[in-house]
Amino acid sequence: MQLLSYSFILLWVLSFALFYLVPAKKQWYVLLVSSILFYLITLRGFPLNLLLTGLTTYYCGIYLKNSLEKQKEESAACQNKEEKKALKEQFEKKRKRIQLLYFIFNLGLLVFYKYATLVIPVWETFAGKSAGFLAKIVMPLGISFYTLVAMGYIIDAGRENCEVETNFFKLLLFLFYFPAITQGPFNRFANMKEQFAKEHRMDYGQTVRGVQRFVWGAFKKLVIADRIGIFVDNVYGGDITQTAGSILACATALYMLQLYADFSGYIDMAMGVSETFDITLPENFKRPFFSRSVAEFWRRWHITLGTWFKDYVMFSFVMSKAGRKLGKTCKKKWTNYGKHVVPIIGTMFVWFLTGAWHGRTITYLLWGVYYGIIMSISLILEPQYEKWKTRLHIGTGKGYAFFCMVRTWLIVFVADMIIRSNSVAQAWEVFTSFFTRLHLDLLLSKTVTSYGLNKYEFLILAAALFIWLAVSVGEEKGQDIRAFLASKPLVVRLLCYYGIVVLLLVTGIYGGNYDTAVFMYQSF
Amino acid sequence: MEEKILAILEEHCEEALTYEGNSMMEDGIIDSFTVINVVGDLEDEFDIEIDAKYVVAENFRNKEAIIALVQKLLEE
Repeated sequence: MQLLSYSFILLWVLSFALFYLVPAKKQWYVLLVSSILFYLITLRGFPLNLLLTGLTTYYCGIYLKNSLEKQKEESAACQNKEEKKALKEQFEKKRKRIQLLYFIFNLGLLVFYKYATLVIPVWETFAGKSAGFLAKIVMPLGISFYTLVAMGYIIDAGRENCEVETNFFKLLLFLFYFPAITQGPFNRFANMKEQFAKEHRMDYGQTVRGVQRFVWGAFKKLVIADRIGIFVDNVYGGDITQTAGSILACATALYMLQLYADFSGYIDMAMGVSETFDITLPENFKRPFFSRSVAEFWRRWHITLGTWFKDYVMFSFVMSKAGRKLGKTCKKKWTNYGKHVVPIIGTMFVWFLTGAWHGRTITYLLWGVYYGIIMSISLILEPQYEKWKTRLHIGTGKGYAFFCMVRTWLIVFVADMIIRSNSVAQAWEVFTSFFTRLHLDLLLSKTVTSYGLNKYEFLILAAALFIWLAVSVGEEKGQDIRAFLASKPLVVRLLCYYGIVVLLLVTGIYGGNYDTAVFMYQSF
Repeated sequence: MEEKILAILEEHCEEALTYEGNSMMEDGIIDSFTVINVVGDLEDEFDIEIDAKYVVAENFRNKEAIIALVQKLLEE
């Protein structure tokens, strides 16, 4: 079941009606049943993976809670600081062992499902026989997302940064909340617990805002992302060696927008659905293409994934005993640059993992390493940049800000070119085409319209991109577009609503051989 | 104590001293590298250990939160 399907709309409407009809204390039951239904209908099978992750997360959380309580009890009876420290270390050691087992098991499941579907067909080819039941394995819906959410909960529970949930079903709801399960955003238990537990009253204004956001997301997905997808797929799916650099550059630049429209469109829809239940999910995008550096870009793109890796991997490594020891040694050895060694190792590790998490091919690993290197270089060179900026008296004007934005786009452009290519060799072929056979004149010829989009389709795309840009500029200036709309007379509001719905129905990409239902990030 | 903390912040991130908001990390005032360096210097200066569990956006939301964190760890 996809967010853009009749069955989902039906589930949403029924859940919405029931949610506000049942007593406040039972409202979370409606969300849980809807989430399980959503998962069962989509999976069409027994959700063993869901149960395994749910049970291990629940029992691991309970163990951590009991262990921390016992430690506090025994600590109260300690005579001095040394005794307390020794007791703390003893309990921590046990907790870490259990957490490690938990991580191995759940990461094992993730790696198994993620790579089994890749390895088994290759094995079958070489072995010349069927892999039996293993050949029927499909990657469970949302496994990359809920595994990280569950691991984050266990880390927070161990750090006492969130309360441990003692009700198994409430924990299940947190892990598998249906608007967010397939592509996020990554929730934190501390933010969601209260929201699931509190009484929700039906609010007309809030419901309208939720539906508006859902429709806006559908607009980005159907009118922009799927339209661009036709062009990009045709260009990248053809004979790359015979394609001009300008066409490939155009396809790659559009792919950047496709990825953004597709993923942020999904997030808008998920957040919109959730808003109608009076539950606020964390924002995942803050107009990343206005960023002036790659670091800023990643603070605005897939925000919840970035903070997940920063909080749970980067800081865990840097603040670990090994990380601290290495940091001190490096500081002593290299006075000027020693302090950068551990953060750079952490950065490279985090980006390698981010690449592996996103995809199962070597291009994704290369993409991760590419970002890791860019981030590390900017860390080392930042003091130099500041000096140059002061010497050259730049850094405050609008022109320089625009230059920084273009520089960021170019870096992201290369990264997206890598992941859109089928292999490293193809990525290299695309990259060299920009220098060996650019043929800029082709961009103004009929060649451009021979990749599935005619000139009218390009005009629709340009108009849709213009609307999106105008909304983004408004938001960047701090305007709340939905509040702005709400302040307008009813006639204006109705015109806007009907306008966007008509635009969706008339210009959205539906049916045919092109599958609109699948979101790009769902395969990550 | 406050002066020492502010001096460390000034060395790594001057903007943090004038920032008046409530989400320094999300607003891009202080990035993760700066946080790591600030934590290292605070640990050396006050002979404390700042565990990873304390390195969260909440404790680095502004300079006052950082001062409160150090104070809490010194009292422990």
